[in-house]
Amino acid sequence: MRWLVRKAWTLVAVYFAYMLEYRGEIFFWMLSGITPFFFMSAWTAAANQGLTGYDANDYARYFFAVFVARQLGIVWAHWNMSEDVRSGRFSFRLLQPLDPVWHYLADHVGERGVRLPMLAVVGLVFAWLYPEALVWPGAERAALGLVAVGLAFGVNFFASYVVGLLALWLEDATSIYNLWYVAMLFFSGMLAPLALYPDPVRQVLAWTPFPHLVYLPAAIWSGLEADATRGLLTLLAWNLFFFTLGRLLWHLGRRHYSAMGA
Amino acid sequence: MAEALGPAVRAHNLRKVYRVAEKEPGFADTLRHFVRRRYREVEAVRGVSFVIEPGEIVGFLGANGAGKTTTLKMLTGLIYPSGGELEVLGHVPYRREAAFLRQITLVMGNKQQLIWDLPVLDSLRINAAVYEIDPAEARRRTRAFAELLEIEDILTQPVRKLSLGQRMKAELMASLFHLPRLLFLDEPTLGLDVNAQAAVRRFLRDYRERYGATILLTSHYMADIEALAERVLVIHRGALLYDGGLGGLVERFAPFKEVRLELAAPAEPAELAGFGEVAEASGRRVRLLVTKEGLTRTVAELLSRFEVRDLSVTEPPLEDVIARVFSEGRV
Ligand SMILES: Nc1ncnc2c1ncn2[C@@H]1O[C@H](COP(=O)(O)OP(=O)(O)OP(=O)(O)O)[C@@H](O)[C@H]1O
Ligand SMILES: [Mg+2]
Repeated sequence: MRWLVRKAWTLVAVYFAYMLEYRGEIFFWMLSGITPFFFMSAWTAAANQGLTGYDANDYARYFFAVFVARQLGIVWAHWNMSEDVRSGRFSFRLLQPLDPVWHYLADHVGERGVRLPMLAVVGLVFAWLYPEALVWPGAERAALGLVAVGLAFGVNFFASYVVGLLALWLEDATSIYNLWYVAMLFFSGMLAPLALYPDPVRQVLAWTPFPHLVYLPAAIWSGLEADATRGLLTLLAWNLFFFTLGRLLWHLGRRHYSAMGA
Repeated sequence: MAEALGPAVRAHNLRKVYRVAEKEPGFADTLRHFVRRRYREVEAVRGVSFVIEPGEIVGFLGANGAGKTTTLKMLTGLIYPSGGELEVLGHVPYRREAAFLRQITLVMGNKQQLIWDLPVLDSLRINAAVYEIDPAEARRRTRAFAELLEIEDILTQPVRKLSLGQRMKAELMASLFHLPRLLFLDEPTLGLDVNAQAAVRRFLRDYRERYGATILLTSHYMADIEALAERVLVIHRGALLYDGGLGGLVERFAPFKEVRLELAAPAEPAELAGFGEVAEASGRRVRLLVTKEGLTRTVAELLSRFEVRDLSVTEPPLEDVIARVFSEGRV
């Protein structure tokens, strides 16, 4: 137990130091994630003309919550893994008595340590621009939203890791992850609140992970309609699914791995 | 370090076949490749058997592509053997059991494990935690290794700023930080200058003396093999050609001596050809390879035929012997 804590702490601390070296890149990466704010202005304009059911502040609040949820859910384990396999570093990971996935997880957690302060600054700027839009949702909703974000991160991470594991068969698997990203874009509520989608579409989407990855936490935080229990259970199920798929691919892929180019 | 009973490595009929997707250059072939892949099988290791006892230092020799790295990858559990039996320290390497991984290491001269953008110390911190080494003990080890390798002053610099030699020493330090008792070294001196090569060899010898480690080492520099190995395995196109002492290899494969002559007057290579294989003939300086049985007779004949200023008889350089093994593929 003592060693477990020490391992986790050391990995996160070292990857945090590593990510600090890349703070500039992380900052610009975060800026490239401000797309929700463009949709925000489009929807607020529509709201100001009385075209939709929500008012301008609702939209501002929702899209800010979308931005935060998305920032906390960003993953790149597929890239970690492909890069490790391509560069041969993966062989060194296999030599150590530790599953390589812990390195990738620590890499993500360490990065959050660099991204969070930046996120706080963006939040301050937003609060200054839209003072009425930001309303504290209450401790309970805030915490529930965080649980949703945590589970959403898990789904994103394991799905990305599953794609990364394909690198044990294919030379480069990273482009496959773009499919996931496109589905995220359209079905997660990043473009528009899902409450505005037609009912049959929403019913089908509810079974997929996508609406719960962004819409669920954003809706919980911003006070929009959301079936939290069902959403969280769905996320939990998808976590289990991708985790199990990951373990399976790990065992199959290890047999296939040929440690290229040494 | 508890001594396991039995050999350190036991490989029997070990095989590895890689399946490689074939692809011709050109657009049409790229499309065809996309639709239907053709595979070719590469038999990298074909039925290799050997045993390494605890405490041995074994050199692993073979030309490029002979199958050395592939064998090491199987011994360390990185890849799955296509056939045969393999036991390393009583474990099946591929299972990656923690008790096994803690006792071994693999150093790859052309690969790096250190984190590029951080100081060496940060990578060592991770290794210390992963291998459950106490912080105080880790500090002690860091000091001791850094002193032996003479890299005390670079440990706080980002790895990307180190020279190749410094980086290789730091890699070695990271690879041995958990004090493994079975070392697999794949060209650990690759690309290093003569001094750095010597330093690495010294360090390895020292490590082995201190911890009684077993070592399997590949290198294309015969100086490494001569300095470290007592026994060599020679692999050729995936099959084992020779297993035994280094001297025995020279004996069996090079049943000749090198005769160096300095002549009073230049001789034509044609004139010399009858005496043995002419390795070098540049004017008055001559190097001949002469079979051991005919040595005395040949030397006598040379002395009577030419006016000789100087003559010496030596073992041929190991490099030449190995080159012959590789080119002829037999011992
Ligand atoms: N990952 C791989 N996939 C397919 N073929 C491979 C792979 N690795 C090696 N090979 C092939 O297997 C054979 C043995 O390669 P290996 O790397 O074991 O040789 P080696 O003895 O280490 O050579 P070198 O001295 O050049 O390092 C070669 O023909 C090589 O092309
Ligand atoms: Mg090799």
